[in-house]
Amino acid sequence: MTAIDWLILALRIFIPLGVILTVVPMLGWAERRGAGLIQDRPGPNRVGPYGLLQLPVDAVKFFFKEDVIPTNADKVLYVLAPAIAVFSALTTFAVIPYGANLPAAGRDIPLIGADLSIGVLYVFALTSLSVYGIVLAGWASNNKFSLMGGLRSSAQIISYELAMTTAAAGVILSSASLRLPEIVASQERLWFGFLPRWNVVPQFLGFLVFFISAFAETNRIPFDLPEADAELVGGYHTEYSAMKFAMFMMAEYVNIMIACALTVTLYFGGWSLPGFHPSGVVGAILSILIFSVKTLFFVLVFIWVRWTLPRFRYDQLMRIGWKALLPLALLNLLWVAGLVAMGWL
Amino acid sequence: MTMSRLVFDAAAAMAILFAALMVVHPHPVKSVLAVVVSFFGLAVCYVMLSAPFIAAIQVIVYAGAILVLFLFVLMLLNVGQEAPERDPRPIQRWLSAAALVVFAALLLALLRAHGGSAPAALDPVSADVAPLARLLFSRYLLPFEALSILLLAALVGAFVLAQREKSS
Repeated sequence: MTAIDWLILALRIFIPLGVILTVVPMLGWAERRGAGLIQDRPGPNRVGPYGLLQLPVDAVKFFFKEDVIPTNADKVLYVLAPAIAVFSALTTFAVIPYGANLPAAGRDIPLIGADLSIGVLYVFALTSLSVYGIVLAGWASNNKFSLMGGLRSSAQIISYELAMTTAAAGVILSSASLRLPEIVASQERLWFGFLPRWNVVPQFLGFLVFFISAFAETNRIPFDLPEADAELVGGYHTEYSAMKFAMFMMAEYVNIMIACALTVTLYFGGWSLPGFHPSGVVGAILSILIFSVKTLFFVLVFIWVRWTLPRFRYDQLMRIGWKALLPLALLNLLWVAGLVAMGWL
Repeated sequence: MTMSRLVFDAAAAMAILFAALMVVHPHPVKSVLAVVVSFFGLAVCYVMLSAPFIAAIQVIVYAGAILVLFLFVLMLLNVGQEAPERDPRPIQRWLSAAALVVFAALLLALLRAHGGSAPAALDPVSADVAPLARLLFSRYLLPFEALSILLLAALVGAFVLAQREKSS
């Protein structure tokens, strides 16, 4: 590999990373303005135009706040926990294709961090590791509320991971590949000349299970039991302050974006659009835009749901995961397997 | 020494080091975390041997699910630091000595068989997902299905045991 190849690889990795880290504070703003909109109040509107500078100001505040480490906390794990949370959130994006090939510098550059042959499994491997960030935070804080939050989270993530992976298995089955770019490519054409060949059409059930599980995996309302403030103070991050607390918030928003990007890639054709054949630099940029708009739509759905639904009770949460979502995911898998066996997919 | 060999050796050393740490650490929660790191090192070894599928399964199943359950149980029971052991029984000493001899013999045999050279890397194609799946569903179909029945039996067994606890 020449120097320019290394440069291109670095840009492929760091530009999306930079974009994600820039969008995260904006999501925080969107969430609070969205809350205001839904609850018929203004939301943050004092700092900057439309309150847009509220989040940068908050970030600065986080940096200057006192960073408290409880006396009886396990210091190493206490510091490590938020780092694990952010690490597993940020590295997941590496295998998600965010655009069509970009012709530049005499090369056809694929717009993806790393095109692994096990793409989807890589995502699930890293999300299954993200639970350690929360569990360790809860345990290392040496606080019973934190511990309860961490325990709830580990039980919840394991339960919903099953439904989520089983739903995704339907997509893997129909596109016969674990590679995310190939899953996107398999959804490019049309059915009957008008219906986009998106996986959501034959696998609407799978999409529902996947998307609902994504709420549980990212600890969002209505599944935010690990940090239920009414009963657990703040759950696993009760003892965290300053930048370490901000890192948990950051991990949450990055996880939401990853979950939405993955939903778009698996079920809504990723960066592709029926009738759109990207060519050249303009095509590549357009494909990135399409991918961003689709992803942002689902991110807004996440915010919308947060301010609409109340929180489930813990036993309800477990019942939904095991007795509703998992059987539905299995049913979806059976349905897709039948379609594939009949040669209709 | 190539770059990939360096990564493999580092990961292998990490796996062994943390496996040893798991045995000697007095705190059960830390022991489980040591196993997590050890399994992660093992997964990196698999990747360097061009078996990414096995690596992913290693992380998803072992590091991501089974060990989280271990942690879950340890935290639920709130297990603290292990109390310093009393004097081991005589039989334990004899058994550990015997285990050490067996382990040393195995290690020697392994080193002699390979002459200290690294085993050749697998053909990258044959270790990928599709060929692996083909093998699993053709040549190894019977053991594969037998394993799934074994797992199902374990599942049913666990369920029966849990139900009995509840009724008593």
